[in-house]
Amino acid sequence: MKKTFAQGIIIIVLFFFTWFLLTQLDWMTIFKVEKITDKTEEKLGELFWDNFKKSERENMNPYVANSIDTIVNKICIENEIDKQKIKLHIFDKYEVNAFALPNGHLLIYSGLILAAENQEELSGVICHEIAHIQLNHVMKKLIKEVGLSVIISMASGNGGAEIIKETAKLLSSTAFDRSLEKEADIKAVEYLINAKINPEAFANFLYKQSADEHEALKYLSWLNTHPDSKERAEYIIAYCENKSVKYEPILSTATWEKLKEEL
Amino acid sequence: MINITKFAYEPGEHEAEKASNSYLMSLIALIAGLPIPIINLLATLIFYLGNRKGTYFVRWHCTQALLSQFSVLFINSYGFWWTVSIIFTDQSVTNNYIAYIIAAIIFNLTEFIATIYTAIQTRKGIHVEWWFYGSLSNLICKPES
Repeated sequence: MKKTFAQGIIIIVLFFFTWFLLTQLDWMTIFKVEKITDKTEEKLGELFWDNFKKSERENMNPYVANSIDTIVNKICIENEIDKQKIKLHIFDKYEVNAFALPNGHLLIYSGLILAAENQEELSGVICHEIAHIQLNHVMKKLIKEVGLSVIISMASGNGGAEIIKETAKLLSSTAFDRSLEKEADIKAVEYLINAKINPEAFANFLYKQSADEHEALKYLSWLNTHPDSKERAEYIIAYCENKSVKYEPILSTATWEKLKEEL
Repeated sequence: MINITKFAYEPGEHEAEKASNSYLMSLIALIAGLPIPIINLLATLIFYLGNRKGTYFVRWHCTQALLSQFSVLFINSYGFWWTVSIIFTDQSVTNNYIAYIIAAIIFNLTEFIATIYTAIQTRKGIHVEWWFYGSLSNLICKPES
């Protein structure tokens, strides 16, 4: 009886030991898993980006692009994010919205820039979206919402135009999981602090928008898709309360004002 | 791992065939039901229940065939649900996952080869006892019952 029991244990241990030994090899590189995943994401990013490019009007004003790029650049440098990965696009649309697409495409609507009272508020939203990109939330959301099989068929060119359109709509007008949103918020605050931007402005932006949610519900997509703004504003404030950093603006006041005029 | 010992008596031709079939049963089911790990267990279980009143040699080998399915059942079920969660939820392929699947394949292959070997030997009337499963079968399966 004892012998049998011992033999059983040995078999179990043997299995786990084999598993452990095998984990020592880097299978992800051997099977090129990451490369395939990256390729899929790249392909999807292009597909969605094409979709938006066709249906909406991109703002080509170099002044606007340069100003926003300065903000994104500063955030990336201070947080050691590869700037090449973030592909910034600004669209002329009076919807207060910004969202991320696969492969690092970051889309900002002019409505959001106009709705932001100062550059810190805008930076907060940008940081939040960069956090979604950096934490790979976009692909996670896609897999959860439409399934791996649809994604693979889209990336391999078998997805119909209608599916791509619908999925693109899903990315631009629905929120992530509550836990993912919180994760992105916290990460955004970290980015803001590292870039010496006051995160309170981001919280204020959320708070302010939640206050007049009823009046302007139609245009405030970013808030609609990101529920519980009040609660979010509160934990952002709580998170950054004990940080004593000297904040400094990225753009000069004149640049910020001119940027708004240009839109 | 595999021990050839003398059985309590010399099994007859008919017994040897039946005992050998219990292993073949699990093999066929393993091939047919590979993606769903429970099928091979069910197949051997049905065969086992059908031969409960068979001779000692037949019963003993049905027991060993059934028991040997259990360990791969656990390994495969875990791998199966892990794969399902990767396909349908937001989990992604990790190094641990690939290592697990390879370990599972190694264990399944070992079991597969051992089963073929045992099926052949048992058909010749040779008594084959596996490491662990053999002694477990000895505990469960007694000459008179």
